[in-house]
Amino acid sequence: MTITRLWLTDYRNHREVDLALDPGVTLLLGPNGWGKTNLLEAVAWLSRGSSFRGAPTEALVRQGAERAVVRAEVDDGGRPILLEAELSPTGRNRIQVNRQRVTRLRDLLGHFRTTVFAPDDLALVKGSPGERRTWIDDLLVDLHPRNHGLRAEVERVLRQRNALLKQARGRLTDDVAATLDVWDAKLVEAGEALAAARTEALAALEPLAAAVSDRLTDGRSTLTATLVAEWATEGLAAALHRVRDDDLRRGMTTVGPQRDDVRLTLDGLPARTHASQGEQRSSALALRLAGHRLVAERTGSTPVVLLDDVFSELDRERTRALVSLVPDAQVVVTAASVLPDEVRFDAVMDLAGLGAGPGTGVGAGAGT
Amino acid sequence: MYADAVQAVIDELGRLPGIGPKSAQRLAFHLMKLPSEDTARLTAAIDEMKARVRFCDRCFNVAEAELCPVCADDRRDASVLCVVEEPRDVVAVERTGEFGGRYHVLGGAISPIEGIGPDQLRVRELLARLDDEGVAEVILATNPNIEGEATAMYLARLLDPLGIEVTKIASGLPVGGDLEYADELTLGRALEGRRKLAGG
Ligand SMILES: [Zn+2]
Repeated sequence: MTITRLWLTDYRNHREVDLALDPGVTLLLGPNGWGKTNLLEAVAWLSRGSSFRGAPTEALVRQGAERAVVRAEVDDGGRPILLEAELSPTGRNRIQVNRQRVTRLRDLLGHFRTTVFAPDDLALVKGSPGERRTWIDDLLVDLHPRNHGLRAEVERVLRQRNALLKQARGRLTDDVAATLDVWDAKLVEAGEALAAARTEALAALEPLAAAVSDRLTDGRSTLTATLVAEWATEGLAAALHRVRDDDLRRGMTTVGPQRDDVRLTLDGLPARTHASQGEQRSSALALRLAGHRLVAERTGSTPVVLLDDVFSELDRERTRALVSLVPDAQVVVTAASVLPDEVRFDAVMDLAGLGAGPGTGVGAGAGT
Repeated sequence: MYADAVQAVIDELGRLPGIGPKSAQRLAFHLMKLPSEDTARLTAAIDEMKARVRFCDRCFNVAEAELCPVCADDRRDASVLCVVEEPRDVVAVERTGEFGGRYHVLGGAISPIEGIGPDQLRVRELLARLDDEGVAEVILATNPNIEGEATAMYLARLLDPLGIEVTKIASGLPVGGDLEYADELTLGRALEGRRKLAGG
């Protein structure tokens, strides 16, 4: 899968962008603040319907503009796909696939996939359980768009259940109990399905992560990733029942998939606390790469790899390993300055050379 | 921020479901630009609706008399009751031509986020009707989204001990949708393929 062309209008700092992209490895070069990451973010938006930096839509629309437009031409094994999104901070986003309007986000998902590597990927290993849940759930959506619905259902049921718990103000009347039973049943249904999908994906990732981590560390260490769910042995229904009084008192759901974690170990020890910064960086990289390979394997089409300023954080050995580990993928790399010799580029786009700068447009068609 | 008269319209529009502050603002300025005949027609239509239309005493569908056209029709089978969220869902099921019973309009779905629990819906009224009208089967046709499903489950559990057959339309309807937008064929098939949940 490749992205052949990207057009942006009023996206973040970019007024007009028109870029033709090479199917190989492209380097986007430019000083910090010129919007290199914004370009990658726009590309990734079309694959996931949200900013990979977690930014709200308002932040994606250029100051003073009413809406931002992101358009891309994608080639999926010879099949051209035109993806268009009009982002509006006030109304609904409008999305079109091959000029057909889609009203549900899940109908955008699956047409185009990206794997993003960013400097803060380290948080995957060092950060809170929420970082790892987001990582595995994003991966599930890449593996199958229907998982987007599952994830949204769990979130919605939790919001409803938590609202009910707050309204109950600690008192379990018959009415509250009867309604709570219903939300529990809904949470059990969706939550157990989500946990099963997470477990299945992690099991499939393990051999891939081990192989990748072997290459990244010269076979020195073994990485494992397993789901930790407090409720796994008793089942979610029993667990919810057990903590019901506690949930009522605290006005929130204290057990379920929203509290689960992915335990990462390096040679049998917790990676979060027992690995060096370098090992943690390799582990995060290995997890992303393993996910990338699993998606390619399962969907039969290799996601476009977006590397946001990652080489500044990696030593030569890991840089070489990273590049060799995504052999068939189209890759777009951003960097502020000099590149490591290990990376061979098929195309270099210098944002400065294209006449771009903060608050201006980029590209052949822009005429800036 | 705006002249009081404009702000008053923005505030009123902002109270409507699905209209946020920005949309309310846009609509208010649009209305301001309309010729007065157009706005007069709109306000007259609203007044007319309020004066003529009410809720059916029996099923809470929209009506122009004490009873809605369905309830007023004695050929309808009183022993089968189709429970829907809103009057517009009655229209959707009627369009299929597959249903010959009566309706019960709940007035929404259970949604704690919006402060709606069973007490805010016409659940007590539903229970009262079961005896009064000799209902033998209840078809739950709430929307195929999370709140609609939760409402159906709540009602199924509530009706289970009463010995009434409870079925639910399910198959073929897109998840996350509204009954209103399901096409006639799909909804007709869904009615035929309803699943038994309790009782009977
Ligand atoms: Zn009626």
